[in-house]
Amino acid sequence: MRRREFLGGLGILSLGFEIGCGPSPIVKHARESGTFAPNAWVSIRRDGGVVVEVDKVELGQGVTTLYATLVAEELDVPIDAVETHYADSLPAYRTSSGMQLTGGSTSTRDGYLPIRKAAAAAREMLVGAAATTWGVPPAECRTEGGFVIHGGDRLAYGALTVSAASRPVPSSPNLKPRSAFRLIGKHGRRVEARAKVDGTAKFGIDVRVPNMVRAWVLHGPVFGANAISVRSDKALALPGVLDVFAFPGGVAVVAEKTWQAIAAARVIEVTWDRGVVAGLDTEKLRAAARADTSRGDEQLQTTKGNADKAIANAATKIEAFYEAPYLCHASMEPLNCTVHVRGKKVEVWAPVQSPSVVQAAVAEVVGVSPEDVLVHTTLAGGGFGRRTHADFAVQAAQIAKRVGRPVQMTWSRESDMTQAQYRSINFARMRGALRADGNVAGIDVHLLGQPLLEESIAAFGDALPFPRAFVDTIRGLMATNTLPDLGSLEGFDNTYEVEHRRIAFTPIRTKLPSYFWRAVGPSFTCFALESFIDELAHAARVDPFEFRRRLLPVGSRARRVLDMIAPAWSAPKAPGVGRGIARITYAGETEVAEVVDVELVAGRIKVRRVHVVVDCGLAVNPDIVRAQMEGAVIFGLSAALDQEITLANGVVQQRNFDTYPVLRMFECPEITVTIVDSGEAPTGVGEPGLPPIAPAVANALFALTGRRLRRLPLQKELDVS
Amino acid sequence: MKLEINGVSVEAAVPAETPLLWVVREEAGLTGTKYGCGRALCGACTVLVDGEARRSCVVAAGDVAGKKVTTVEGLADNGVLSALQEAWLAENVPQCGYCQSGQLMSATALLAKKREPTDADVDAVMSANLCRCGTYPRIRAAIKRAVTALVGKP
Ligand code: FES
Ligand code: FES
Repeated sequence: MRRREFLGGLGILSLGFEIGCGPSPIVKHARESGTFAPNAWVSIRRDGGVVVEVDKVELGQGVTTLYATLVAEELDVPIDAVETHYADSLPAYRTSSGMQLTGGSTSTRDGYLPIRKAAAAAREMLVGAAATTWGVPPAECRTEGGFVIHGGDRLAYGALTVSAASRPVPSSPNLKPRSAFRLIGKHGRRVEARAKVDGTAKFGIDVRVPNMVRAWVLHGPVFGANAISVRSDKALALPGVLDVFAFPGGVAVVAEKTWQAIAAARVIEVTWDRGVVAGLDTEKLRAAARADTSRGDEQLQTTKGNADKAIANAATKIEAFYEAPYLCHASMEPLNCTVHVRGKKVEVWAPVQSPSVVQAAVAEVVGVSPEDVLVHTTLAGGGFGRRTHADFAVQAAQIAKRVGRPVQMTWSRESDMTQAQYRSINFARMRGALRADGNVAGIDVHLLGQPLLEESIAAFGDALPFPRAFVDTIRGLMATNTLPDLGSLEGFDNTYEVEHRRIAFTPIRTKLPSYFWRAVGPSFTCFALESFIDELAHAARVDPFEFRRRLLPVGSRARRVLDMIAPAWSAPKAPGVGRGIARITYAGETEVAEVVDVELVAGRIKVRRVHVVVDCGLAVNPDIVRAQMEGAVIFGLSAALDQEITLANGVVQQRNFDTYPVLRMFECPEITVTIVDSGEAPTGVGEPGLPPIAPAVANALFALTGRRLRRLPLQKELDVS
Repeated sequence: MKLEINGVSVEAAVPAETPLLWVVREEAGLTGTKYGCGRALCGACTVLVDGEARRSCVVAAGDVAGKKVTTVEGLADNGVLSALQEAWLAENVPQCGYCQSGQLMSATALLAKKREPTDADVDAVMSANLCRCGTYPRIRAAIKRAVTALVGKP
């Protein structure tokens, strides 16, 4: 039995189907291959090798090291002894809302116990097998370095694989107590790093399949344009060029080699239609949002108390309008996907965040069922949400369907930026008021932006584990403003105790797709709220740190994290330095507070220092938590200072890193990360460090200049006047 | 045409104007060198040509005939990592890793020129290489670590 089929079988087992008589699949597999695989994640070979199937994509967030750490910990083997393998798309791995999915900073939170249990179950069965061999109670045995040990007797795991397989799989194996951890919570090296420094790491773009051809794609100037006519005679005459054809959304140039396809693409003449967003103009969207002061037909997320009345009766009233542009992910590895259509079976190799979404989308293109699409997930050169979408896999499948040989499709950087799934443009009308005693009387938020949840549900389509009718009903309720779009609105609460609060949303519906971007809703809502809180603090003449502290519940994690950043907030600072603070309760679980020091040098915003305090429960690998905070701060700074996607008459104006800049080393601040020592269950760290950086910088600039910048990116806003 | 990549002679039947990047990746089969922008903006494709850091996406293959090309695969010596590669591991530099080949090539060229670069030297040279994951603080630390290891040696 091949491993894949075997694992597919386990998936069925885990769904509760009964298997008839005869040896169980686990026993059969052990007898035939010598490998003991008690579940879909952990297996032990006859030679003692421990393998963990990583059913998440490695985007740089460290999930490979996470899985290796958890398995090595529970199996009592050195971490270097654990081989990691990226899992294919199989039913057993549909563990994230019924899908195989990496996103939302959930891998650590969701995997922490199940992966440990998977390893602990294996350990318990190995110990049981050894104890039976020796005729001693299992409780008298211990494990170390890949051996079960009893007194002077030792048996290697590899020698126990067949006997362990026939033991019952414990449903709740004993987990190691925290006091016995050797690896969890300790500094450790990333297990996949070596391949990333010697050039052997294989990303999607590095996939090589026998007989494979390459496809380069031309996209129209306007998003989603289709070709009306294609002149390709010159291109087809070039060596290596196999085919040039239009497909929905682009023109494929197929050649033996990528450089041949790129050279051919230059001499192809395409007439494009007006695309799906003809006429869309970000300046017009801005004007419309500014003019929209209507009340009454919004989606309501929260009404607590009576914000209108509280604000009307208050001593001091403040109103402010915040804005942020469309953004694109611009992962370093451009979008790519390798597809082979063989009759009714399809194989896909790609850096994707959701193999399940890809299976469903590709199946629809090719006309097979999702189970006939096997997805091999590769290393991904960044993702940031972009790779949960299947649009690029759909294009690759459309091309592969016609070509017949395996096709590796690569998008140019220009396509990556102009045919993106964008973080929505956002606007927030914030109203708030202070009572005479300086406390907050009420806050009223009106968010305008593209409805993220509504649109992403459409993007996930058939991959969602719900009947179509149910999905359609949910979308219908959002479309009629009956259900609030909680994806867009996330983050306006932020643990602050405000007696009167109203949070509302007006969807802006365009045909430009909006999508998950690192930190999702709070990538904007935190900017608007944390800037506005700062405005309220200054109006109340209260220190911004102290103002926030008063609004946070006594004894809360949020308040503890804020208190821990107090030294950074009150440290002496040089003249010419502005200091700002912002914080977030991310997804109700991870707490982050940031303090930044900012200077202006010849008009350029220079962020000198960033202090981060994070409470993510138990930090399974503290150095990776630190790296994620550093990365999120830098990713967030690129957006806070410089990035924007603008459209003029449907055409995206930014096409490469010259017009969509990414922070470079000479502007990278010094970043200090403090992790709260916590015994709580681990929570996500990939996104939470991002949202506070933009408001912290804006607040620092206010402290420095007295100017309140309410629009991102900040440098452009600063330059306007 | 004939190229010398990592000390090995490579025969490639490509037009002279073909970007070196694709010759390295698809003719020499060395996929450590990455495509990121195609316009000398990101540094993901950085290789050494006679010791100089060059963006291989804008270097014509025909222009490097007779010169020595070094890619990330050529940094280690018989499996023994260079001081920079070791420092990269010690500082846990890579996140997604996609930019790291280019980062290492730029850093290698830097140290070949300046045994003990200042912070300003590091910023100036390394700012040609983008990292979307934000590993800059660790790259800085890793270069310092490598310098200490190299200069500390007799
Ligand atoms: S791919 Fe050459 S610099 Fe970006
Ligand atoms: S490590 Fe991901 S782009 Fe640098």
